[in-house]
Amino acid sequence: MMWGAFTSEWTKLRRPTLFFSTFLGLAFAASLFVILMFSQATATGGLVTLHQLARPNGLVIGVARASMLLGVVAFGIAASQVASEYSLGTLRQLLVRQPRRAVLLAGKMLGTITFLVLALCFAAVVALIVAVVAAQSRHVPTSAWFTGTGLGDLFRELGDLALATIGYSILGMALGQFVRSAVFAVIVGFAWLVAVENIVTRIVPSTEQWLPGASITAVASGGVEGVGYAHGMILGAVYVVVAVAAAMTVFLRRDVTA
Amino acid sequence: MTLQQAMDRADERPRGQLAISTAGLTKRFGDRTVVDSLALAIPSGSVCGFVGPNGAGKTTTIRMLLGLVRPTSGSGTILGGSITQPATYLNKVGALIEAPAFYPQLSGRENLKALARLGRLPLSAVDPVLERSGLLARAGDKYHSYSLGMKQRLGIAAAMLADPRLLILDEPTNGLDPGGIVEMRGLIRSFAGDGITVLVSSHLISEIEQICDYVVMIRAGRLVHQGSVGELRGTQQPDFILAPERDADLPLLTGLLQEAGCMVTQRPAEATVLVEAPGFGAADLNRLAARGGITLRQLAESTRSLERAFFALTGTASADVPAGQEMGAIR
Repeated sequence: MMWGAFTSEWTKLRRPTLFFSTFLGLAFAASLFVILMFSQATATGGLVTLHQLARPNGLVIGVARASMLLGVVAFGIAASQVASEYSLGTLRQLLVRQPRRAVLLAGKMLGTITFLVLALCFAAVVALIVAVVAAQSRHVPTSAWFTGTGLGDLFRELGDLALATIGYSILGMALGQFVRSAVFAVIVGFAWLVAVENIVTRIVPSTEQWLPGASITAVASGGVEGVGYAHGMILGAVYVVVAVAAAMTVFLRRDVTA
Repeated sequence: MTLQQAMDRADERPRGQLAISTAGLTKRFGDRTVVDSLALAIPSGSVCGFVGPNGAGKTTTIRMLLGLVRPTSGSGTILGGSITQPATYLNKVGALIEAPAFYPQLSGRENLKALARLGRLPLSAVDPVLERSGLLARAGDKYHSYSLGMKQRLGIAAAMLADPRLLILDEPTNGLDPGGIVEMRGLIRSFAGDGITVLVSSHLISEIEQICDYVVMIRAGRLVHQGSVGELRGTQQPDFILAPERDADLPLLTGLLQEAGCMVTQRPAEATVLVEAPGFGAADLNRLAARGGITLRQLAESTRSLERAFFALTGTASADVPAGQEMGAIR
């Protein structure tokens, strides 16, 4: 039954405007980070040094640095996909054809998550190709990138990015379920992840390890200063589970009057 | 199949089987009771008009029947399944709820495919319903490019997708131009010809009268009347339309009828009078006119009697009057 909800969601998600804007938009954002990083890198400074870029993990540094931006975009798309079912009124049509609400929500979530993870993978592949080209132009040696260590770093980082994207997507869909307005969901989500968490962390630095956005970003980056990878993974998982449970509870009980 | 044939067929059906039945169905939003102890009994195979003024609770009732809104209290069954478990019957139900809602950037066909996939229905069912609703030629166009009439037709096509035994259509002619309304009526009649039970809500009595053989009337969330259209007409004292042979006799005829105690409305444009005449039959009126030396070229029961029955039962002068606003006499 969930397969039906999943494939139905994909019918909607693969419409050209959304499909191309998401895939190309994420690829552009990730590539832009890579280009900026390589162009600004010097022997001693910049966002990273040329020496750091030549290390085995140099191939994925740019994509990893873009993880917050990619996550915020994924969050916004996920939130708007859920909320727009209310604002368009399409939810009532969907519930007539699939009245088992838990099945419908699970299928839609799975559809959106796979869509965004695929978009992220595409963006990463494009950004990695850009990184190889950029390395040639800046004469950064790339031999270490394609060693066993380098490829291990690559796949580990891509795995972490995928996990982070899943986390951002689920939080976005839960928020969309609560607020039922695509615009409001995107604004609230962006404001929280980009502004509120930063402000709170600057005022009370110890809160960083307990905030949802910071936790998931830590997962995407393999751990950051102040929030370790394992801590981010556990706390992020808790946030995701709570978000799914809350969204499911609301959806199962809510009268659909839109 | 003509409307009359459909109605005859409906009359032949056993009334024992109910497609929809509810008992004490109630919905409150906060302190406001929108649907109040509704007891519906809609026969299988009927084309049932669900009538009430705007705000009477029609859409909320329909949403409860479709599992979109949870009843505050009461029970009900649809096609034998409990309304507390909509999954047991919605695979046999098609619905158009208020304005049609689809994804604007998808074509009509893609929208239906999304619904077909969701309901695990064969994709081969999509084109036939598009053809039946007259949309096949534009099925590849994006939904946002459709006219209102085309959007309504896509809504009907979506409702037909599951090959339903029950169709629930909420104000299907809303926003349509006269041509679109006629087309929609034809489409609904064709469903009746296929033996599908149709529940069609409207605040326009004339519309219901033309397509339905059964009627449920509600006002302020309460049931006012339910039964066959024939039964409802039978409960009402008929009105008559009288036309004198000579138009010049219209004032004289009006005077004679008023002297006899009838309520008369002159319709000069048609050279007729509409007569509300409690206790009078057609023969009485004919005799009255003949005594005054007037020959009638027309003496007919008013075709507006269902509308008038609605007004009498709901206490409104217009089906559009919001619930709770009482009105006086209709003339």
